[in-house]
Amino acid sequence: MKIIIATILPLSLFAASFNAPMQKYIDELKVQAKNSDSSFVDFSVKRGEKIFTSVHVGKRGKKISCASCHSLNLKANGKNIHTNKVLKPLAPSVNSARLTVVKDTKKWLRRNFKDVYVRAGTAKEKGDVLYFINSK
Amino acid sequence: MKNIVLGAILTVSVSFASGVKPVDNQLYKKECASCHFGFQPGLLPARSWVKLMNNLENHFGDDASLDKNDKKLLVDYLVKNSSDRAMNYKRSRKITSSIFGNSTPIRITKTPYFIRKHDELRVGMVKQKEVGSISNCIACHTTANKGIYSERAINIPNYGRWE
Repeated sequence: MKIIIATILPLSLFAASFNAPMQKYIDELKVQAKNSDSSFVDFSVKRGEKIFTSVHVGKRGKKISCASCHSLNLKANGKNIHTNKVLKPLAPSVNSARLTVVKDTKKWLRRNFKDVYVRAGTAKEKGDVLYFINSK
Repeated sequence: MKNIVLGAILTVSVSFASGVKPVDNQLYKKECASCHFGFQPGLLPARSWVKLMNNLENHFGDDASLDKNDKKLLVDYLVKNSSDRAMNYKRSRKITSSIFGNSTPIRITKTPYFIRKHDELRVGMVKQKEVGSISNCIACHTTANKGIYSERAINIPNYGRWE
C-alpha cells in the first residue's frame, strides 16, 4: 500500500497540480467562469496556449504576445523586449517558484493582460492560461 | 593614534561616498527589478519618485501596478534614499544639482547630468541587441548593481572599454 502512495504522490506533483492556495484561487476562477457561462466545465490547456501565443496590438500600440517576452519555449529564459532584462523561465517544471504565490500570480495576470490585451483578462482566460503555463 | 586615524578615514569614506548607494531592499528588488535593471533610488530626487510611483498603471508604456501596501512601502524606500537625500554620494549629488528646481524628470536618462555623461556615445553602441536601451545600465556599466558607475568599470559590448 505504501508503495502505491509513493508512486501516486510524485505523479500527482508532475501532472500539473497546484499548491493549496493556488488551487483555491483556481476554484474561485472556476466559479466566476461558470457564473458568466453556464456551459463552462473546466479550464483548457489548449485555449490557454492560444491566449499565450496569439498576437495583439498591445498597450504601446504595437503587436505583442505573451511569448514576445516569455518566449515560445516556456522552459527557457525569456527577455523583456523593452528593457533587455532576462526573465526566468515560466514553466514550473524548471522554475519551481512559478505559480506558487496567489498574490504574485494575480499581479502578473493583471499587468500582462493590460500590456498585451489592453484590458483585464476574464476568469476563463486567466484559468486557461494558468493551466497552460502549469502544463509546462 | 592608529585608531584615531582609522576612525577619521572611516568617517571620511562614509561622509563622501563615490557612486550611488546600492539597492538594499528586497521588495524593491522583487517588484521593480524583475522587469528592468534595479535603478538605485539615489539616481532621482524624491519628487521624481513620487510622481513616477503615482502612475504605475502606465509605467513608460507598461502596466506595473502594485497593491496599495507594497506601493506605499516602495515609495517610502525610494523617497528615503532619493538622490536629494543622499547628497554624500557623488552621483546622487551631481544628478540632484543638475536638475532645475522647477522640473521633475521621471526618467533618469533625461536628467542633465545623465545626458552630459552619455553625450559621446554613438548610436550603434546602444542600438545593438546586447544593450537595447540607454536605460539598461548593467549592459555597459559592469558594476552598476553595486552602485558604481566609474569609467574604469565600463565595457560596452562589441566596442570594449571606455578609454
